[in-house]
Amino acid sequence: MKLTRFIQKLILWELLVGMMVVIRNQFRPKVTVQYPKERIPLRPRFRGVPRLRYDPKTMEELCISCLLCEQICPDDCIAIKWEKAPSGKGRVLKDFIIDYQRCCLCGLCVDPCPTKPLTAIYMSHDYELAGSDRLDLVAGRTDLHEGRTVTIYDK
Amino acid sequence: METQMFITILISVVQISIVLSLVALSVPLLILMERKVIGFMQSRIGPKRVGPSGMLQTIADGLKLLLKEDIIPDRADKWVFRLAPMIVLVPAFVAFAVVPFSGTGLNVFGQRITPWVTDLNIGILFIIAISSVGVFGIILGGWASNSKYPLLGALRSAAQMVSYEVPLGLALVGGLMWAGTASMVGIVEAQREAHLWFFIPQVVGTVIYFMAGVAETNRAPFDLAEAETELVSGFHTEYSGMRFGLYFIAEYANMLIVAAVATTMFFGGWLRPFPNVSWLAFLDIFNFILPGQWGPFMSGLMWVIIKVSCFIFLYYWIRATFPRYRYDQLMSIGWKWLLPLALANIMGTGALLLWLGQTG
Amino acid sequence: MFRTQEMEINMGPQHPSTHGVLRLKLRLDGERVVDSWPVIGYLHRGIEKLSESKEFIKITPFTDRMDYVCAMSGNLAYLGAVEKLCGIKVPEKAAYIRVIMVELNRIASHLLWLGTHALDIGAMSIFLYGFREREMILDLFEAYCGARLTYNAFRISGVPADLPPGWKEECTGFLKLFRQRHREYEQILTANRIWLKRTKDVGYMDAEHCLALSVTGPVLRAAGVARDLRKDEPYAIYDQLDFDIPVDDGCDTYARYIVRMAEMLQSVHMVEQCLEKMPSEGPLMGMKGRRMKPRKDEEIYFAIEGPRGEQGVYLISDGTDRPYRCKFRNSSFANLQALAPMVQGGLVADVVAIIGTLDIVLGDSDR
Ligand code: SF4
Ligand code: SF4
Repeated sequence: MKLTRFIQKLILWELLVGMMVVIRNQFRPKVTVQYPKERIPLRPRFRGVPRLRYDPKTMEELCISCLLCEQICPDDCIAIKWEKAPSGKGRVLKDFIIDYQRCCLCGLCVDPCPTKPLTAIYMSHDYELAGSDRLDLVAGRTDLHEGRTVTIYDK
Repeated sequence: METQMFITILISVVQISIVLSLVALSVPLLILMERKVIGFMQSRIGPKRVGPSGMLQTIADGLKLLLKEDIIPDRADKWVFRLAPMIVLVPAFVAFAVVPFSGTGLNVFGQRITPWVTDLNIGILFIIAISSVGVFGIILGGWASNSKYPLLGALRSAAQMVSYEVPLGLALVGGLMWAGTASMVGIVEAQREAHLWFFIPQVVGTVIYFMAGVAETNRAPFDLAEAETELVSGFHTEYSGMRFGLYFIAEYANMLIVAAVATTMFFGGWLRPFPNVSWLAFLDIFNFILPGQWGPFMSGLMWVIIKVSCFIFLYYWIRATFPRYRYDQLMSIGWKWLLPLALANIMGTGALLLWLGQTG
Repeated sequence: MFRTQEMEINMGPQHPSTHGVLRLKLRLDGERVVDSWPVIGYLHRGIEKLSESKEFIKITPFTDRMDYVCAMSGNLAYLGAVEKLCGIKVPEKAAYIRVIMVELNRIASHLLWLGTHALDIGAMSIFLYGFREREMILDLFEAYCGARLTYNAFRISGVPADLPPGWKEECTGFLKLFRQRHREYEQILTANRIWLKRTKDVGYMDAEHCLALSVTGPVLRAAGVARDLRKDEPYAIYDQLDFDIPVDDGCDTYARYIVRMAEMLQSVHMVEQCLEKMPSEGPLMGMKGRRMKPRKDEEIYFAIEGPRGEQGVYLISDGTDRPYRCKFRNSSFANLQALAPMVQGGLVADVVAIIGTLDIVLGDSDR
């Protein structure tokens, strides 16, 4: 036993074992993702920046301006403008602004949204946020519905 | 007489420029290969964007380095700072003068062109002597930067190189005793005559030589002088642009030298494996493909390149696997293990040769 | 005459191996460290003060950003404190999901530690191997909660969602793979003579000193003290799980390496048990609505065993829905105190090994 240990030490056995592990990994599939060209497929629950959506059937605004999301946002980055509906009951959404500079993508705003099961505000799959101007990142209502225009790198 | 001399000089110039450009060209290739090989070992793909599958990456890097602003720190010792990279680079290239790249020369226009620039009868000594000059460049560079991390790097490399030159030289002595000559060409010829690569009787010597060589060239796991996680990047922290590039090229040229010497000394240079077993002759494939003198020449070149590449690959492999030694541990390995082992190896070789000489 | 001079050198805040923005002023005698002053605060964001002006629910995203390497533990520690303060019960299924996530996060955090620690000492490949496997865990997290780093995966009184379909299988597959990969890391490092030389007897600190400096976690366990809040003061459902606490009495960097490596396997074991025992049906949230009514002038302290040690939250309530005071007891900050005594007398190369072995996250210590 002692002799084998001695011999192993003499022929640098454990170093060779380590080297074999490294060489074995050479034949494993590569994990690199060439980012702008390829993207990792996102999981359905992925949390990108929050956006708004219409009712898919009627194509009407889902948001009822209840302001719950505005209240729960820890970074105070949601601002909602609304008016009393002409019928006197309910509210009409005038504008909905999310400041993506401050959004921490926490997803808390989606939790209380009352228009269940399809929440008016949802965490989208957009994650490429870059702009040359601070105001680029302040998304208004149209941006929130249609998504920001992103330049796609295609070289 | 006059013309003969002129032609000799001309041939030398041609040889030198071919060798120089070969080495200079192989450096980008080595860097690219290193990044690719280590990348593959780490489940990555390495450089990919410049040229087909990243082939031109090092060229692009080199261009970038050339175009970069050359910053000399204000408080640096300006002259020494400029001089240091060259002190490292020149010996690294000069050492190639005695490396034989193939066995047989070529006859061009009635002139014999040898595949080595010159065959000094003290070839090995020449290489050892020349490559120790390079150390000064590292020490001076670190010192002249007038900055703390480079200074630490220079200190480390000074100590490291001084203590590893000795086992490096001694490890080669065993091989020299077998060969009976210090000429690089002579060593390979001796291996042909002895019918064996000196690696076989000199296993210990080879291992010691390789370890000391890794330490000499500042490569992992002995890359203390530039240990980037400790000293940022050691002696060349303050260097930028092509001056940094020169250090980089010199490092790879030195690797090539160490690999080339190991090939010549222990692995039979341009000889194929088992050079006396005639049925293995088919391994020298170029002998059958190319006509006349070109066949043996290319075969020899092929073997040298293959053997050197194996060594370089081993360098990369080791770098990818092992942690780095600490400064004091490095010194104790050098003095307490490698040096006594190298001396013992010489004694053993001497005794063996004596015994062999007596018996037959 | 010649005269020797000690050299003062600045390691960080921008340095390849100070793990973020730790600044270390070192006084060196040649290569030997005579004295050292860790300087922190480069990542201070005032999270504790900020918390005082936010409702309880809004503080959870901040806890992600303190110790961003193990955000799940941060979430759990904070939410546990709030739940204790308000006397909320967490449904069993939610507790199981929480433990699964936290233990997976412990593996991810230890993988990051292993990679960076080994990289600091010079072993390159294992860094990328560690990240490769960590990425799989992050994929699992992404599938569960949608985020890869700052999870915010739990809510007060439970978890917001059930495990997605197919998650269990993916997780089991990963755990199986991870056991193999774990063996590979051990093959590269555990017996490697260079690794042994670099870590044995480096950064020595015995139990007495650890306790005096309130060092917790693997560093303390590697000094022979079997202190683990999961066993000592079980929270969530840890009392229903079967696991060991790896302890070593080497007190050095190598012992900490051994302890952390063993902990990863224990975590794998725990996750497997959780997946098996978890009730398939059941409520996920323990309370309806968002109204929090803590009692007035209540002070509580709740701590969990994070990957780096005791991760505690101290809350004082004044009866409103915001904390009067919110203090985070973070393990990185406490463990950082051990840095200076550990590096004393070592070499520069040991400094990076010791920073690595303490496994500090500067966001955690600066807050
Ligand atoms: S994701 Fe969080 S920070 Fe962003 S808008 Fe919603 S609540 Fe606010
Ligand atoms: S919570 Fe939903 S419905 Fe209410 S304001 Fe926000 S988006 Fe509109």
